[in-house]
Amino acid sequence: MNSVLIDLQHISKVFPPATVALSDVSVSFRSGEIHALVGENGAGKTTLMKVLYGLERRDRGDILLRGTHVDFRNPREAIAAGIGMVHQEILLIPEYTIWQNVVLGAEPVHALGALDIRTARERVARKIDEFQFNLDPDAPVGSISVAARQKVEILKLLYRDVSVLILDEPTAVLAPQEVGQLFLELQHLRDKGHTIIFISHRLDEVLGLSDQVTVMRRGKAVATSPASRLTKEELARQMVGRSVVFAAERSPAEPGEPVLVAQGLTVRTTDGRDALDQVSLQVRSGEILGVAGVEGNGQFELVNAIMGLSTIAAGSLFVQGIDLSHADILTRRRFISFVPQDRGRMGASLPASILENAIMTHHILDRSFRRWRGLALNYRRAIALTRQIQHQFDVSMENAAAPFQSLSGGNQQKVILGRELLLEAPLVLMDQPTRGLDVGSTEYVHGLLLDLRNRKKAVLLVSADLDEVFTVADRIIVMSRGQLVADLRTEETTREEVGYYMLGGKDAVHAQADI
Amino acid sequence: MSVFYGLYSAMLVGATPILLAAIGGAFTYYAGIFNIAMEGMMLVGAFCAVLGSFFLHSWILGIVCSIAGALVMAGIFVLFAVRLHTDEFLTGIALNLFAVGLTTFLLRDIFHVKGAFTDPRIVAIPAVTVPFLGQIPVVGRLVSGYNAIIYVALAVTVVAAYVIFRTSFGLRLRAAGYNAACLNSSGVQTPAIRVWSLMLCAICCGLAGAYLSLGSVRLFAENMSAGRGWISLAAVILVSGNPWGVGIISLLFGFFDGLTVFLQGSAIPTQFTAMIPYVATLVSLYFYSVRKRKA
Repeated sequence: MNSVLIDLQHISKVFPPATVALSDVSVSFRSGEIHALVGENGAGKTTLMKVLYGLERRDRGDILLRGTHVDFRNPREAIAAGIGMVHQEILLIPEYTIWQNVVLGAEPVHALGALDIRTARERVARKIDEFQFNLDPDAPVGSISVAARQKVEILKLLYRDVSVLILDEPTAVLAPQEVGQLFLELQHLRDKGHTIIFISHRLDEVLGLSDQVTVMRRGKAVATSPASRLTKEELARQMVGRSVVFAAERSPAEPGEPVLVAQGLTVRTTDGRDALDQVSLQVRSGEILGVAGVEGNGQFELVNAIMGLSTIAAGSLFVQGIDLSHADILTRRRFISFVPQDRGRMGASLPASILENAIMTHHILDRSFRRWRGLALNYRRAIALTRQIQHQFDVSMENAAAPFQSLSGGNQQKVILGRELLLEAPLVLMDQPTRGLDVGSTEYVHGLLLDLRNRKKAVLLVSADLDEVFTVADRIIVMSRGQLVADLRTEETTREEVGYYMLGGKDAVHAQADI
Repeated sequence: MSVFYGLYSAMLVGATPILLAAIGGAFTYYAGIFNIAMEGMMLVGAFCAVLGSFFLHSWILGIVCSIAGALVMAGIFVLFAVRLHTDEFLTGIALNLFAVGLTTFLLRDIFHVKGAFTDPRIVAIPAVTVPFLGQIPVVGRLVSGYNAIIYVALAVTVVAAYVIFRTSFGLRLRAAGYNAACLNSSGVQTPAIRVWSLMLCAICCGLAGAYLSLGSVRLFAENMSAGRGWISLAAVILVSGNPWGVGIISLLFGFFDGLTVFLQGSAIPTQFTAMIPYVATLVSLYFYSVRKRKA
C-alpha cells in the first residue's frame, strides 16, 4: 500500500449564517492513486477541495501533507507545494496560444524581462510529448475543443510540476470517446506517480477509473472504500441515502400527429458560416425527441431558431400546422414551452422575486393577470399561480417575494419547469434541463418528461448528457458541425454509435477503432 | 512649403500630449481598468512641472515633479478603485474634477494669479538638434529641432509596444484585461499588475503634462489640458490599446489640433476652428463603428 500523502482531519466549514458545508470530514489520499470524491450537488466535495487548495478558509481541522501540517492561504502556495486544481469552469485566455496560457505566471525570461519565447515553447512542447497530450503549442486556445482546453488546464499544472491533481467534474463537458481518452491520460499520469483526486457524480465513471472512492453526503464523508469492492447501486445508496431507480419506467411510445415540423432550418453567423445547416426534423405528439451532440455543434442555434431568438436564413418552421418561420417570440410562446439551458440568464432573472419569475410570459398571454386594462397586475392571480407551481412541482420555498437566487439550483429549475409546463403549450423544448442538478432533482425532471409524453405533448430535449438522452428519449438525433448527422431509434442504437456520430468525420474513425 | 512645415510641426505639437497620455491609457486598457483619469493626471502633471521648474530652476526637476504629481493622482486611483473596489468610472470623474479644482486653487494660493501664470524664471524644456540628420536639407527640418519631449514620446511608444507584446510583464498585463480570474489562478496577483499599469500610466501622463506647460509653452493656465486626456481615451478605445495604432490616431488628432492653431486669424471664427479636434473625434468614432459593423 502506498503511503498517505494528504491527510484531511476533522475539517469543518460553516458558511455564515448557518450553512454547514463541511462537518468533521476526515479523508486520506495516498500517493499514486486515483481517488474519486463523489456525492450530490451541495454535498461538500468542491468545498472540501477548495479548503485544501487555499481557496476557502476552514473553521476547524488539520491538513497534513506528507505528515506535516500545512495551511495554504492561496492556490499559489498550494501549487508551490505540488498540489494543483482544475476547476469546473475552464479558466483560460482564448486570445492566447496554448504555450502562452501554460507559461502565464511562470514565464522563462531573458534579461530585461523579455519573454524567452523559444524556451517557453520548448518546455511546453516537451511536457506535451511527455504526457502524450496531442496538442499544438501554437494553437490559439479560442480555436480548440473543450476537451483540449481541459488538457491545457492540466498541462498548466504539470508545467508547474505538481504531483497532486484535483479535477472538479472534468467529464461534464465531454463526449463519451473524449471521456475515454481523458481517462487513459489520467491513468497514464497515475502510472507516472501522480496522485489524482477526481470529483464526480457520474457513478459509472467513478467505478471505471478510480482506485479509491470517498462518498460525501450533506457535508459529511460517508465512507471510503476501494472501487473494486463497490457496485453502482451501493454507491448510489451511499450518495443519496436511499435506493435509486436508474432506468426510468418507460412504456413504448404511441406517437400521434406531427406537432413540430422544421424544414431546412439554416442559421448563419455574422462571419457567413452556417452554424445551423439545413436541419429538418419532426416531433410528434406523445414523443420525446432527444438531440445529442458535443456542445457547440449547432444545438444552441437550433434552439434559438425554434424560439425565434435568432433569425433563420432559410427554412421553415411549423407547429401544429401554423407557420412560425418568421413569427415573433411572443407568438411562438403560445405554442412552445421553453426551458433554456442557462437558468440564471435566460431562464430567470436572479435578483427578481420568485413570484415575478413564476408569472413571466403568463402575465402577458393570460388576460386574467391584468387589472385596470393592463395598467396593473392582478396580484391575487399571480400569487395563485406561484402557489400552484409550488405545490404541483414540489418547490421548497418559504416566501414568494424572496429573490429567485435564494432558491437552490434544483428548486430554481422546478419553478422554471412549472412556469413553462403550465403554459400548456403543445410543444415542449428543453435545453439541458438537468444541467447542474443533483441525482434526486434529475430523477424528478426525467419523471416529468415521461409524464409529458403520456399527456401527448411533443417534447424536444437537447442534452449533452448521453445517459439522459438514452433514459428518456424515444428517438435520438445527433448534431455535428451544424448538421443533423443521424436520426436513430433509442431501442435500436447504442451509446457508442451515437458517440461515433457525435464526433463525426476523421475523429469518428479513430474513436471506433478504440472501442 | 512653409505652410507644409507649419502644419507638420503643429501636428507634432498637438499630437505629443495626446500620444503620451494615450500610451499611458493603453497600459491600463490592457490591464482591464476603465481608466478615464488621464485628463486629471495630465493637468496635475502640468501644474507640478511649472512648480518644479519655477522653484528649482531646472526643467529636468520640473519633469520629475510632474511625474511625481501624476503618480500621486494614480495613488489615489489605486487606493479607491483597486484597493477599495469603488467604481472606476466614478473614481476617474472625481479625480478629473479634483485636478481642476486643486490646480486652480494652488495657482491662486502659490502664485497669486488668476487664469494663467507665466514668469521668465520658469525654465522650459529645450529643443533638440539631431546631429547629422539635422544637417540634411528637407529631412533635417522634418526630424530635427523639436522639443525634447517629442523624441521622448516616440521612444515611449516603441518601449510600450515592446513591453506590452514582448515581455512577461506584458503577457500578464494583457491577461489581467482578458481574464483576471485566469491570471489569479496562474499565481499572479491581478491587483499588483493593475497597480503597475496605473503607475506607468501616471509616468506617461506626467510627461504629457510637462510637455503642455514646459514644452510647447512656458506657462500654466487653468484647465490647460483642455480635454486632451479625453481625446487620448478615445484614441485608446478606437485602436483597442495597440500602441502603434495609438501613435497613428494621435498624429491624426494632432493634425486637427494643429489645424485649429493654423486657422486662427483666418476668416473662420475661432469658435468654429476650436471645435475641430472634438468634431474629428466624433467623426472618427463614427467611421470606426461603421467599419466594425462591416467586419
